[in-house]
Amino acid sequence: MLALRLTRGSHPLVLVRRLLLASASAGVGFLLLCTLGYASGHPAHASDSVMRLLWCAVPLAATVQLAVAVARTDPSTRPRPGLFAAGLGPVRLSVLAAASTAVSTTLGSVVALLLFLHLRGDLTGLPFDGGAAEFLGAGTPLPLAAALTLLALVPLASAVAGGLALRSRPAAPSEAQAAEEELAPAPVPKGLPWGVALTAAGLAVEAYAGRGTPGSAFPLPGRLDSTPASVLAGWVLTAIGLAMAGPGLTYLCGRLLQVVRPGAVRLLAGRVLMDEACRIGRPLGVVCAVVSGAIAATALYSDGPRPFGPLTTLGAVLVLGCSTATLLTTALEAKQARARTAESLLRLGAPAAVLRSAAALRALVLLAVFAPLTWVIAELAALPLTG
Amino acid sequence: MVAPPDNDVLWARSLQHSHNGSPGLGGVSLGVRDGEILAVTGPRGSGKTTLLHCLSGQLVPQEGEVWFNSVPVHTMGPRMREQLRRDRFGWIAADPQLVPELTTWENAALPLLLRGVSHRAAKKAATEWLERLDIGPLAKKRPHALLQAQRQRISVARALTASPTVIFADEPTASLHVTERALLLRTLTTAARSHGITVVLATHDAEIAKLADRTVALLDGRRVTTVALPAASDTEGRSACSLSV
Repeated sequence: MLALRLTRGSHPLVLVRRLLLASASAGVGFLLLCTLGYASGHPAHASDSVMRLLWCAVPLAATVQLAVAVARTDPSTRPRPGLFAAGLGPVRLSVLAAASTAVSTTLGSVVALLLFLHLRGDLTGLPFDGGAAEFLGAGTPLPLAAALTLLALVPLASAVAGGLALRSRPAAPSEAQAAEEELAPAPVPKGLPWGVALTAAGLAVEAYAGRGTPGSAFPLPGRLDSTPASVLAGWVLTAIGLAMAGPGLTYLCGRLLQVVRPGAVRLLAGRVLMDEACRIGRPLGVVCAVVSGAIAATALYSDGPRPFGPLTTLGAVLVLGCSTATLLTTALEAKQARARTAESLLRLGAPAAVLRSAAALRALVLLAVFAPLTWVIAELAALPLTG
Repeated sequence: MVAPPDNDVLWARSLQHSHNGSPGLGGVSLGVRDGEILAVTGPRGSGKTTLLHCLSGQLVPQEGEVWFNSVPVHTMGPRMREQLRRDRFGWIAADPQLVPELTTWENAALPLLLRGVSHRAAKKAATEWLERLDIGPLAKKRPHALLQAQRQRISVARALTASPTVIFADEPTASLHVTERALLLRTLTTAARSHGITVVLATHDAEIAKLADRTVALLDGRRVTTVALPAASDTEGRSACSLSV
């Protein structure tokens, strides 16, 4: 009840983030229900249906990541000295965060269910002249328990992940204590060598797998059916490697920014980037991996005779959108965490333009480093398969 | 609009300000002479911080005027007031308000760097002041590794490095122990006197106010000659308070 009340009084931007989460959850719920519809409509293609279900794990993971990022930036569950004194410590706050995450994701699931039933023609008859009837399995009865289980997947996973992520957050009994905790520097990220090694190993596996005949052990649902399993394993390795290398690369960017007699802008931009490397680097690496995967997939399949199906497109949009939204939300979290420092800088008379240009410089440097990296990895991943 | 007296570096006339309805300042006028150390005293909630915010251009009073060196501050735009704070004013708060990512000397040199002074010149000026405040050996450490008293000294060094015309110190010793308190204040006042810097010092402590050249007392947002609160007796309120709570 408290979660709902806090939602009602929150800022429009917070509500927009929750709506984004709800729509992501609706998208994933819809994909899961489509899988179920396809399975009940085509009992003969059981392995095909399992493959579709497995592919849904990717957008599901992206949505859970977004849910955690949204829960972290939610002002209503931020540790507050007043609430701490009243007995609302980190554990209760994480329960509160889990509840509000569950509310928005459940909303999305309900929307997904209604849309699915409407498209199947269970509510009002088939729309669009039954164009979607085949892959939604229209005409066959839908197992209720299975549908509810699949729909509960996103809210449950998001709420648990969000609650666990907030549980480890320190809570300070007073403002002075909170200021003291903010002074502690973030640890230097150490995952860069591992990340580079994993990325290289992933690319090598892909290249090795690309030599053989294009099998169809692990096809995309719908139209894509020429992706061998080892290529996918290689891509997953590359993605994990990039996510691990992200913080280290971000730290290096910050370090490079502030070398050789920096002025105020470069000094602030570089040091802040070094300190925020752990927070911002991981979602940045994920975005990098997802975008490079998308570029590679377009390069491989867009010329072929079989373009992407509608559900594949929905899944790709979900994954891209969720990872980008996670990155932006994390950037917002970093900004919130530095509000106190920004305030004291403004008190010193620092022009707001200096703070803005420091932020712009950070974004520019990250873009200049990560955009070519993404492109190179995409090209390397696509090379053995196209050549 | 009346032009202020020439010998006052800061001059305020009938400042009024309320925070979202609750009264902060109710018609305070005062002049700060060039090079003097002025203590603003009064208990908590008497409007000291609001007065300092108004004088330093961080807050525009709802009514009244603030003049700095015969230039009106209350009619300036936010950008001009920012520049005034950067170029002419220094600020020392109750907590050090350091940037956690920067080292000691970088924190002290920050106002100079923000003005666009070269890296080398800023470092030289900051290091000199750190030496004078006995924290020279800590120049390369980050604030998290220092004691609260050392951090507050960095904050003083930061205010002095920029060689401002006026330093505003809002309860600069509130988070320190008694011995460090006296040392910090003596350093600040000595440095200010030898460099001709005007200091406006807000404090609730009468002992600290003795270090100043002149004292202005505030109570409930108004200037008073003496702060004499009614003495609280032990039994006060016992008979009067018959409410069942």
